Amino acid sequence: MILLRLITWPYVRRHLARASLTTLGIVLGVAVFVAMYTANQAVLRGLEHTVDRVAGKTQLQVTAGDAGFPEDVLERVQAVPEVKVAVPVIEATLETGLTGQGNLLVLAVDMTGDRSLRDYDLESGDEAMIDDPLVFLAQPDSLMVTEEFAKRNGLHADSKIVLGTMLGDQTFTIRGIMKPTGLGSAFGGNLAIMDIYAAQQVFGRGRTFDRVDLALRDGVALDQGRAAIERALSPGFEVAPPSSRGQQFESIVQVYSISMNISSLFALFIGMFIIYNSFAIAVTQRRADIGILRALGAFRSQIRTLFLVEGGVAGLVGSAVGCVAGLGMGRALVGEVATMLEGVFGIVQQPAEITLTPGLLLFALVVGVATSVVAAYLPARQAARVDPVQALQKGRYQVLTAGQNRARRRVALVMALASAALLWLGRSSVPFYTGYVLAILAALLLTPTLALLLAEALRPVLRWLRPVEGTLAADSLIQAPRRTSGTVAALMLALAQVIALGGISLASYAGITDWVDTALNPDLFVTADPSLAVRTFRFPAAMGPELRSIEGIEAIQQVRSVRVPFRGGPVLVVSVEIGGLQERARREPVAGDAETMYRLAGEGKGVMVSENLADLRGLALGETIDLPTPGGLLHLPIVGIVKDWSDQLGTILIDRQVFIRQWHDDSVNIFRIYLKPGASEAAVKARIFDKFAGSRRLYVLTNREVRGYIMRLTDQWVGMTNAQLAVAVIVAILGIVNTLTVSILDRRRELGVLQAVGGLRGQIRRTIWMEAVAISVIGLALGLAFGAVNLHYILEITRRDVGGMNLAYMYPVSIALGIVPTMLAAAFVSALGPGESAVRGSLVEALEYE
Amino acid sequence: MSELLIALMLIAGSGKGDGSYFRPSLPEIAPVPFSAADAREIVQTAQDRTEATSQHYEGTLKVIDARGRVSDKRWTYDRLGSHGRSKAVLRFTEPAEVKGVALLIVNHPDRSSDQWMWTPAIQRDRRIALQDRSTRFFGTDFSFEDLEERDIDQYRYRLLGEEPVDGAACWKIEATPTGRKVSQYTRSVIWVREDNYAYARVENYDGDQLVRRLNYQRIEQVQGIWTARVLEMHDVRRNSTTVLTLEKLQYNLPMHDEDFTLQALRRER
Repeated sequence: MILLRLITWPYVRRHLARASLTTLGIVLGVAVFVAMYTANQAVLRGLEHTVDRVAGKTQLQVTAGDAGFPEDVLERVQAVPEVKVAVPVIEATLETGLTGQGNLLVLAVDMTGDRSLRDYDLESGDEAMIDDPLVFLAQPDSLMVTEEFAKRNGLHADSKIVLGTMLGDQTFTIRGIMKPTGLGSAFGGNLAIMDIYAAQQVFGRGRTFDRVDLALRDGVALDQGRAAIERALSPGFEVAPPSSRGQQFESIVQVYSISMNISSLFALFIGMFIIYNSFAIAVTQRRADIGILRALGAFRSQIRTLFLVEGGVAGLVGSAVGCVAGLGMGRALVGEVATMLEGVFGIVQQPAEITLTPGLLLFALVVGVATSVVAAYLPARQAARVDPVQALQKGRYQVLTAGQNRARRRVALVMALASAALLWLGRSSVPFYTGYVLAILAALLLTPTLALLLAEALRPVLRWLRPVEGTLAADSLIQAPRRTSGTVAALMLALAQVIALGGISLASYAGITDWVDTALNPDLFVTADPSLAVRTFRFPAAMGPELRSIEGIEAIQQVRSVRVPFRGGPVLVVSVEIGGLQERARREPVAGDAETMYRLAGEGKGVMVSENLADLRGLALGETIDLPTPGGLLHLPIVGIVKDWSDQLGTILIDRQVFIRQWHDDSVNIFRIYLKPGASEAAVKARIFDKFAGSRRLYVLTNREVRGYIMRLTDQWVGMTNAQLAVAVIVAILGIVNTLTVSILDRRRELGVLQAVGGLRGQIRRTIWMEAVAISVIGLALGLAFGAVNLHYILEITRRDVGGMNLAYMYPVSIALGIVPTMLAAAFVSALGPGESAVRGSLVEALEYE
Repeated sequence: MSELLIALMLIAGSGKGDGSYFRPSLPEIAPVPFSAADAREIVQTAQDRTEATSQHYEGTLKVIDARGRVSDKRWTYDRLGSHGRSKAVLRFTEPAEVKGVALLIVNHPDRSSDQWMWTPAIQRDRRIALQDRSTRFFGTDFSFEDLEERDIDQYRYRLLGEEPVDGAACWKIEATPTGRKVSQYTRSVIWVREDNYAYARVENYDGDQLVRRLNYQRIEQVQGIWTARVLEMHDVRRNSTTVLTLEKLQYNLPMHDEDFTLQALRRER
C-alpha cells in the first residue's frame, strides 16, 4: 500500500489521461460484454417470467413442438389415472395496434376448468369482475386483460379493443380485469385471456390445441406422472415441466448467444492488449523509479506485486465503470435483440427489465480484473527483473534484445507448426480449438518481429514521402518496438476479426442470395403474419383452391412449418408439395442425386435435410431418422442433403401429405404463388385482397419484399456483430492514441532538441502523424494477413458449433479495402491530439526532461 | 349428495302421485340408536317419491354476490328419466348475451355424469371434463358437479339424529361418496322432512369445512310430488347466494331420447 501511494499514485496523477485511456480498454470490453449479456438475459428472463406466471400450478405440459395437436389428445391425457387436472391451452401473440403497446400475449384457456391450475387474481378479489362468466364464454369477443394494460390504454369493463385476427380486424370486449400480480404480470402485463374455442377461430387453429397443462394427483411423483402420460401418447409428444420451455428457447437462441458472447469476449481480449501495452510502457518509463526502489532494498516480488496490483486496480475501476456503461448500452440494445429474435426465430417476447445481478457483477469484475492482471503480468515480471544499476543509467530500454526476439520467434514457429498439425489432425473440438489458440498466440508472439520488419520496410517509403519527418517517425518505431507492439497486436486482432466476420457475412450473403434466387422464387407469398418466422396464425387448407381460382395465378404451393424436438434439440420441419418444389424451385443437393431425392421425398418415402442440420447432428445421406410426430414415429431415410437457410438450427423437408398424415393438420402457414406469364403482380395482389377482404387476416408479399425482409434480417444479424467490432476497433484506436502519447512523452527531450535546432512545429506534428499512420499500416498489414487465417477458423467454428453452415471461404476484399482508408484516417485523427501536445509543451521543460 | 341434484330429485316425482311410497312408520323409528340401513331406507324412499318419467320447468336464477350485486338469468330445463339414469338439457333463454347456451347432462348410475356445453356464437360444443366439475357453474353458486343427478348407490349413509328445519321435523343423515364416485365433497349432511320425505336442507363439506349449503323452500305438491319451488344455495367461502325459482313445472311430459344428444344440443331453438 505504501508503494502504491508513493510510487503509483503520483505516476497516475502525472499521466491521468493515459491512465484513463488504459482503463478505457477494459471499460469498453466489460461494457460490451455486460450490455450483450444483460440484453440477452432480459429477453430470456422475460420469457422465463412469462412461462412461470402463465404456468401457475402446472406441473407438466404436453406439447408436440409448436405444431399443436387435435383436441382428442386432451381427453387421452385427462384419462390417465395419475393426472388430477389437465386443461387445454392456446398461446399466441397479437399486435395490439395501440400506439406504443406492441404485442399482446393471448392465453386462451377453457375457463370452465382452467382455474384449477391458474389463479386469475381478478380485480376486487372477486371473479364478478368477469362481469358474467357465462357471458364471457358465450360471447367469443370476450377478453380479460391485466389492470396494467387496462390503465395504460384507458380500458375498463365493457371497453372495446380492435385486434387483428385470422378473420380480419375484430372488436373485442373487455369482460374482466386481472390484478397486475401473478398471472397478470406475465409478458410485462401485456396479457389477455380468452376462451380457447373462440381462440381456435381467431388464430385459425381448427380443432387443435397448442398444449395441455396439467397437475398430477397428490402423491404422484413428477417422473411417474410423466412416464404414465408418455405411455398414453405417441412418441411425437413431449411431456415436460414448464421450465423446459425456457430451456428450449435458450437452445433456439443459443446460436445467437454464442456469437454475441464470443464477440464480447473478443472486445475484452483486445482491451487486454491495450492494458499490456500501457503497462509495458509504464515499466519502461518508471525504470529509474524501479531501480531506486531496488537499490533501496525492495524485493523483486514487491516490484512485481506493485505492478500486478496496479493492473488489478485498473481492472477493477475499468470493470466497475464498464458495468454501469454496459447497463446503459444493454437498455438501448434490448429492444433490438428482441426484435431480431422475433424476426429470425419467430419468438415474440416482452423483455424483462435490464438488471445487473450480483453474479454478473462479480463475473464482470473478476473478468475485468483478471484480464487486467494477466495483461500486466509480463510487464510486472519485466519490472521485477530490472537491474538497479542499468535502470539508473540513461539510454534506450525499449529495444528487444536479439536473444528475446530469437526465443519468441522459435516459440511462435513451434506454435504455428503445432497449430497447422492440429488442424490437419482431426475434426474433434479439442485439437481444433487448441490449434486456434496456438495460431493466435503464434501471431501475437511474432507481432514484435513482424512489426519491426515492417517498420524497417516502411522507412524508405516514409523517407521518400517526407525525408525528415518520415525518417524520424520510422526510427521511432524501429527503436522502440515494444512501445508499439501491443497496439499493433490489438489492431491486428481487431482487424483479423473484422476480416473473419466480414468473410462470414460475404459467404452468408452469397449463400442466402443463391437460396433466395432458387428456393424462394415465387412471385407472391401469402402469409398470415408480416414476420415470416412467426407461426401464430394459420390458414385453413380450403383457402388453397380459393386462391388458385383467382385470375392470374398459375400455381400455388402450400407450406406448413413447425418446430419440433428432434434428438434432443429443436428442428424446423417444413412441409410442402415436393413435386411442385422440384418443378419450380429445384435445388441441387450437396449430397445425393436430385432426381432420386425429389422422387422419393415426393412419394413420402424419404426426407430431405438441410446441410446445417446434417452437420450439427452428424446426419448422413441414406441414414434413417425417427422423427417424433403426433401420429407416431416417422421412420424415413434421408434421401438428400440440401443447402437451406430457413432455420439456423436446421430444417427437415417433407412432403405435405406426409405432414398431414402424421400431424393430422392440414393448415397452412404460407402460400407460395406463381403467376401466369404476363399477369400483373399488383393486379393479382389486389384480387387476393378483394377476395379475402374483411374475412381473413393476410399479407401478400412480393418476391422483392420477401428478399428485402430476409436481407434485412441478415443485416440485423450481421449488424449486431459489426457493432461490437466497431467497439473492438475503437479499443484498438485508443491503443494508437495511448502509444503516441507515450511516444511523445518518451521523446520529449528529442522533440525539444529538434525544435531547439530549428525544427518547425509543422515538422513535429507531421512526424507524429506519420508515426501514427505507420502504426496503422503495420497493424493493417498484419491484421489483414492474420484475418485470412482467422477467417478459416471462424468459418469452421460456424460450421461445427454455431449454425452448422458450410460457408465458402471468401476473403472479403471489399471490406479489407474499405478498412484501409478508415483505419488510416482513424490513426490520423488519433494523432491530432498527441501531435498538438508535442508542439505545445515548454521547450525548456522538454530539454530538462530526465 | 350434491345440491342441485337433490333439488332436481325433489322436483322429480314418482309418476303416480298417489303417495304410495309414504311410510308413516318411518318417523316412529326416529329414536336412537339409528342404523345405517335405516338412513339408506329414508333416502331410498325420498328418491322413490321423486321418480318421474320426465320433467320440464323454466327457471329463474338470481345470483347475489358478497357485495350485494345481483345478476339474473333464465333457462328452460328438460329431463328424461329420473335419478342415475336420466338425461337433461338446460338451455339459457335470458339475458340476450347468453341465449342459446346449453348444457347436456347424461347421468350414469355407476359413475359421474357426462356433460357438454354448447356455445351457439362459435357453434361449438365442449366437454366438461370430470376434473372440472368442482368449478362454479357459470358464475352461480352451484358447481358443475351439483348439476349431476346421482344414484342412491353412489353414497354410504349414516343417520345422525333428528333436527327440525324451518319448524319441520327432519332426519339428519350423513352421505359419504363411495369409491366409484368422484366428488369434490368429502361428505354431505342431508335433512329429510319426516312428514313428506322431501329434502329440507343439504350441507356439503370438504373435510370439516362447510363449503355449500342448499335450502329448500316453498315445498309444494306438483302432480303428487313434493317439490321445492325455490332453492337457495349459499357458498360459504365466497359468501354469495344463488336463488333458483322453478316456474311452469311439469312432470311426465312426453319426451324423446333423440332430444338429449349432442346433435340435438347443437340444434338451436
